[in-house]
Amino acid sequence: MDNADILVGIASYNNAKTIGHVVKAVDAGLAKYFPEKRALIVNSDGGSKDGTPDIVRSATHDHAAIFLSHPVYPIHRISMPYNGIPGKGSAFRALFRTAVELNAEACCVVDADLRSITPEWIELLLSPVIRKGFDFVAPLYSRHKYDGTITNSIVYPVTRTLYGRRVRQPIGGEFGFSGKMAEFYVSQDVWESHVARFGVDIWMTTEAIANDFKVCQTFLGAKIHDPKDPGSDLADMLLQVVATLFNLTEKHYEKWKDERGSSDVPTFGFRYHVGLESVKVNAEKMLGIFRAGLKDLRGIWLDIIGPGDLGEIESLGSLTEGEFRFPAGLWARIVYDYVLAYHKKVMSPEHLIRSLVPLYLGKTASFVMEAEDMEQEGAEAEIEKLCLEFENKKDYLVTNWK
Amino acid sequence: MENFMELLLQPLRDFGITILQFVPNLLAMLIIFIAGFLFSRLIKLLFLRIFRIINLDIWCDKAGLTAIIRKGDVWSKPSDVFGGIIYWFLIILFLVIGLSALRLPTIDNLIAQFFLYIPRAFSALVILIAGYVFAGFISRAVLITAVNSGYHYAKILAEAVRLLLIVLILAMSLEQLQIAPGIVIAAFSIVFGGIILALAIAFGIGGIDAAKRIINAGEPEQPEQPKQNNEKKNDKEREAEYL
Repeated sequence: MDNADILVGIASYNNAKTIGHVVKAVDAGLAKYFPEKRALIVNSDGGSKDGTPDIVRSATHDHAAIFLSHPVYPIHRISMPYNGIPGKGSAFRALFRTAVELNAEACCVVDADLRSITPEWIELLLSPVIRKGFDFVAPLYSRHKYDGTITNSIVYPVTRTLYGRRVRQPIGGEFGFSGKMAEFYVSQDVWESHVARFGVDIWMTTEAIANDFKVCQTFLGAKIHDPKDPGSDLADMLLQVVATLFNLTEKHYEKWKDERGSSDVPTFGFRYHVGLESVKVNAEKMLGIFRAGLKDLRGIWLDIIGPGDLGEIESLGSLTEGEFRFPAGLWARIVYDYVLAYHKKVMSPEHLIRSLVPLYLGKTASFVMEAEDMEQEGAEAEIEKLCLEFENKKDYLVTNWK
Repeated sequence: MENFMELLLQPLRDFGITILQFVPNLLAMLIIFIAGFLFSRLIKLLFLRIFRIINLDIWCDKAGLTAIIRKGDVWSKPSDVFGGIIYWFLIILFLVIGLSALRLPTIDNLIAQFFLYIPRAFSALVILIAGYVFAGFISRAVLITAVNSGYHYAKILAEAVRLLLIVLILAMSLEQLQIAPGIVIAAFSIVFGGIILALAIAFGIGGIDAAKRIINAGEPEQPEQPKQNNEKKNDKEREAEYL
């Protein structure tokens, strides 16, 4: 295949249980919504041992049984291993390269562990690029109020405040993008950093916004995927995502320093209420780690956030579980202090970001307790309040940046 | 009689000649001392100025070197301490060079030994400084990781790791200085072996469940079980996805 109009990428590693469904949904979406386009499904695999690539190649269904029309061109699919640091970012890099080599007009990437993907997702991710000329399409999901807390407490408020665009799920995992955008991604020299791992999502979104590409978001419904063990993944994920976020803050200082307030980005898709799986969180355990941090990381926190905010955190430590509330303003200042400490190289970046984990868990525990009796809208309103705190305190970041 | 007088005067003449030969050496030594003293002061002032320009004191505060110096009950600024070290190193160097100007075989031997020892002393110093910084880095990494994992004794664990590394670094430095190398290696082996044995026993007794979990995690998945687990999770509740 020398050319393709559409490329759909699926990064995988040991996803044999779910990838069959994802491939079928993608295949059906391409056949139903883009029958006149030449499309390719590419699985970029990290060396799965459970037969994931075989499932990608064999997953099939009868188009005639589902649709009245048939695709003009056959939908090809390939499964290929990628080179470089093992991780989602390296898998994406291989997809970007393939898209550029095939001169693809529009591309999208979807996670291999999705259980809630439908053919409509492909239409929703690709149509803004093909029919409206957008370069980058971010996902918008209905998520449980306790789901996506790194997004809600750090990544969304910081990205929105810095660049002034309200992209609600900057690290959603499913994205649509133009061939031009893929070319830009391939040309960047970031593949030895955390971008090669879980940092790739925030990197893609931020680069699209900061470099003035046409950005929009699209409502996909509920996102349900294989559960991960937060205990084992959290610290590494937080490190990779936050380190990339802070690196981009360094890189785009000139872009964000004068930006104030924020505005919505164009949003596509029909918004509807969906029943969400309940999410179990252990606020007591999170508070335990926050208190352990208060006891043992005091010296490190003092160097990063200073005596004033540390005093406020210490006073939080003495509160009972029922009284414990992490003020939004304090959290915004702490995140900005971490951005500044990263900029001023106060200590090793890895130690710096890992020392944020107990504070983040304290903030998350507070949110879980506050939102216990709230509906989804109420929880979303709390996140909006937090974002406004970040926006109101942006001058603190800018004036202390030097 | 003449021979007898000669016997008396010859030692005096020889002594005079020796003194005459020695005086220039002595003079050279004094000149080297004075020049060395002035040169050392000049270099110290030059380095103090450079330290001020590069903000060495602030850098030392951030790197934790000031705290290390304070622990040694030294309350001067780090730049003054480093300036003093450079100054005294140069003074000792010029003292040795000055003494070599006397051309006395015993002193020459001592000087030769001194110069042979300098590389060892230097490498021991480098091992000490780099090792101290490394121990601090590793100890902090252990502390943060242990806190994030919810261990109750994170600080004790981090301090134990720091202590262990410092013992290792001290042993390496002493071995480099060739100070009782046999005793140092034996003492280190006993201490290190003891710690490892204690850790192994503690893990064996206290961490049976954790070890079982780790061993089980490394085993290949059974085809039947995950399906049941997933069904269970989908039926009931799923854990938080923090991203």
